[in-house]
Amino acid sequence: MNSDYKKYLPLSESTAYILLALIEPLHGYGVMQKVEQISQGTVRLGPGTLYGAFTTLESEGMIVKTGETERRKSYTITGKGKRVLQEHIRRLEILITNAEITKGW
Amino acid sequence: MTTIRQFRWFWAWDDEKEEDWLEQMAQQGYHFQSVSLPGFYTFEQGEPRSDIYRLDYFTNPKDRENYLQIFSDSGWEYMGEMNGWQYFRKQKSDSTANEIYSDPESKAQKYKRLLLFLVIFLPIYFNFIFLNERSGSTFIKVFSFVMFFLLLLYIYIIIRLIKRINDLRKRI
Repeated sequence: MNSDYKKYLPLSESTAYILLALIEPLHGYGVMQKVEQISQGTVRLGPGTLYGAFTTLESEGMIVKTGETERRKSYTITGKGKRVLQEHIRRLEILITNAEITKGW
Repeated sequence: MTTIRQFRWFWAWDDEKEEDWLEQMAQQGYHFQSVSLPGFYTFEQGEPRSDIYRLDYFTNPKDRENYLQIFSDSGWEYMGEMNGWQYFRKQKSDSTANEIYSDPESKAQKYKRLLLFLVIFLPIYFNFIFLNERSGSTFIKVFSFVMFFLLLLYIYIIIRLIKRINDLRKRI
């Protein structure tokens, strides 16, 4: 794990889902629909949150623009984005392991 | 179509109060049309509606179309701009997000953009005040005195915005 990535972690739930959605190229509204679906309705992204995340993730090199049609920019995740997401998931798995105890409550 | 004009002042950190006020006006049948200068609002009279109003701060002309497209795709009607503040409207809905920012971290980004914009202009104010040191002219003295009070106001706005950002971060 490159220690440069630590500054990004932990990702917000929104950002983690945006990165997960971008395993295929999608534009903004496509990401919103996919995230709502794969999160089983637990995460509904607002347009301000999504636009801000696109801007930040692109400038940090975690996503890259793949096209632009009818004023809609499409993005996809980069190698760096994948590694940051992997490290975030690894941390979540540790949390889940520790949280086994809550099932007996 | 009847329009009415109304003056009301809101500070930058009170944008949620402004949103609430626009919603209350809509419930009384006064629908926001535009804000031409800070505080000067125009409303169109019609049937009362339960609309949601949200304000964003955005100043990048190069990416404006893409930015507005994301809002329009997700059901927000663009109402116009005033000094970087973007006004959006949407009908209340259970099936789509009623917020333009879905978490406090990203909402804090909105105020950070505004803060950055204000901080960039801070040196200009300092420059005007220190003109006083170099010139004996009465005009310059009065001018830099006024600038000094504007600077105090400016610093106060910056402090309130920083407080707003910290409050958003404090949420569990």
